[in-house]
Amino acid sequence: MAPHHTSDYQTGELKSRDLSYPTGGGISYKEVNDDVVRTMTQTGKWYYIALAGAVSGFLAFWILPWAYQIYTGQGVTGLNTPDFWGIYLTNFVFWIGISHSGTLLSAILFITKTPWRRSIYRSAEAMTFFSVATAAVFIFVHMGRPWNFYWTVPYPNQRSLWLNFQSPLMFDVFAISTYATSSMIFLYFGSIPDLAAVRDRVTGWRKQIYSMLALGWRGTDSEWHWLFKAYTFFAVFIIPLAVSVHSIVSWDFALSKVPGLAKTIFAPYFVVGAIYSGSAGIVTLMIIFRKAMKLEKYITLNHFDKLGMLLLVMSLLWSYINVIEVFTGWYANTSPENETLIYRMFTTPYAYMFWLMIFTNTILPLLFIFKKCRTSILACVVVSLGINVGMWLERYLILTTSLPRKFLPYMWHDYIPSWVEISMTLGSFCFFAMLFLLFVKLWPSVSIYEVKEDIGIPMRKGGGHH
Amino acid sequence: MDKAVLGLFTYADELLDAAKRLEGSGYDITIFSPIPLGHEIEHKLGPRKNHIKYFTFIGSVAGLFFGLLLTLGTAAMYVLPRGGRPIWSITPTLLMSYETTILIGVMFTLMSFLFFSKLPSFSKKIYDPEINVDYFGLLIDGNLRGRYDEVERILRDHGANEIKRVEETEYNS
Repeated sequence: MAPHHTSDYQTGELKSRDLSYPTGGGISYKEVNDDVVRTMTQTGKWYYIALAGAVSGFLAFWILPWAYQIYTGQGVTGLNTPDFWGIYLTNFVFWIGISHSGTLLSAILFITKTPWRRSIYRSAEAMTFFSVATAAVFIFVHMGRPWNFYWTVPYPNQRSLWLNFQSPLMFDVFAISTYATSSMIFLYFGSIPDLAAVRDRVTGWRKQIYSMLALGWRGTDSEWHWLFKAYTFFAVFIIPLAVSVHSIVSWDFALSKVPGLAKTIFAPYFVVGAIYSGSAGIVTLMIIFRKAMKLEKYITLNHFDKLGMLLLVMSLLWSYINVIEVFTGWYANTSPENETLIYRMFTTPYAYMFWLMIFTNTILPLLFIFKKCRTSILACVVVSLGINVGMWLERYLILTTSLPRKFLPYMWHDYIPSWVEISMTLGSFCFFAMLFLLFVKLWPSVSIYEVKEDIGIPMRKGGGHH
Repeated sequence: MDKAVLGLFTYADELLDAAKRLEGSGYDITIFSPIPLGHEIEHKLGPRKNHIKYFTFIGSVAGLFFGLLLTLGTAAMYVLPRGGRPIWSITPTLLMSYETTILIGVMFTLMSFLFFSKLPSFSKKIYDPEINVDYFGLLIDGNLRGRYDEVERILRDHGANEIKRVEETEYNS
């Protein structure tokens, strides 16, 4: 690609670090600071309406039904023998999957020095953290007696019983805690220079808060040097960690002996599915975010073009694994496997969900073969939302068509979610939206310094190393 | 009170030329920039060390052993016999240790970053908020008595837009 200097930066020339600066228009360093700080300090009425809606939805659809469930007991859910894993764990897996977009993609694109990462990664990392938080709450919801959560924490106790580390559920506790902690560190430490930039622009209580958060950052060469070194290690750690997290989530199911769950392919299947749904989540969120915050010059059609290619590749991978899963089950031709497949693929209402999932996750993303579709906002909205509907259905089908069809037919039982479970599912989206809306007002949601890196380093003598 | 000199530049190459000249003359310099100039600085002033990797490695190894100790120790202290199953099971032990390796490796990396970059630092230090926008700064610190004119001349010759004599206690953030 040809060198693309977006501005002559006063009278000198820019030495663009990468040659594919995606934003297209001429942008100055100061403009970047102004634009990002503006997203935090200027708030329109639509923001407040959206926030009020998200908070109300969170309280009405999640907190109240949860309080009702805690007060009444787990009997208000549709969970019953033999299906004790219903919508709550569907949501848990779905939100953990969404979380795989941000930090993992950000880390991979950082290590591979991919330039189009820079203006979207901060929001994507925040998305990771908030979706992990949303997923984690579903564990508490599913537990029934959430006040006993401390039983999963290793600490000396009087019961002469410590944790059973051989349980996949304990793997989960450790993996997700590690992932949440590392993602938060990755997000925070990558933001320190930008928090300092905000500190220098705001006044009053904001200045005090951002002074604390910026840790006294001044932008010295030493600070940049150590930040870059540490950040690289964080990125290197995050990649295998994210892969392990969704592998472990898959083993919650795959290490059982239930037909439809005990699959050796589940770990890569879940990792691919997580990256797939997470990337689709980024596309949906970035479309709303760039429009609402007027950041079209930073998050451009070029970003959606690249993300569209990624979705297409992930779609093909996901479809391949699905075909393999069905094929091996079919080839095995054992009655439990056959029953699970027939129940999932040809029995209503699951057949509708299954074929809708195939349409949204395998057929619809084929539109992204065409660049015209990858760079069409409407197509991106339709396909990315479709993928996430499909990915939610995938998790739902995995859980609700396996346990109800275990080996002995006398135990078969169809799972039907209750209004409490459906309500909390809706509430989780409100909770996520609420966290993200707060984030865009409290945190620099586009990386100021990395967008400046994209613009290029101002050099009097122009091009080449100096 | 001794004063330091802070030169503000629009162009990174002019800043780096001035930095090389002043460092060569034995001055104690600090470069400020709104973006990382790692490659450019190393190209001009020579390569820099990376001590963090040692701490990351030590943290990761410590995490591995912590994971092994936690899982095997728990199994040994609170024996949970199940027919035909080992008390010390290898697979889950490795899984837990994998997670603790990463967790403690990340923690050590974090601590070493804070240690080497001397953050957090809330004491008063020389700084100009323009540096976080679109200026590059070069701070010449230490004993400058009788040498201010020379330092300022070098900065001016290399294209500094603005030159400030600043108190060491000045802190603008």
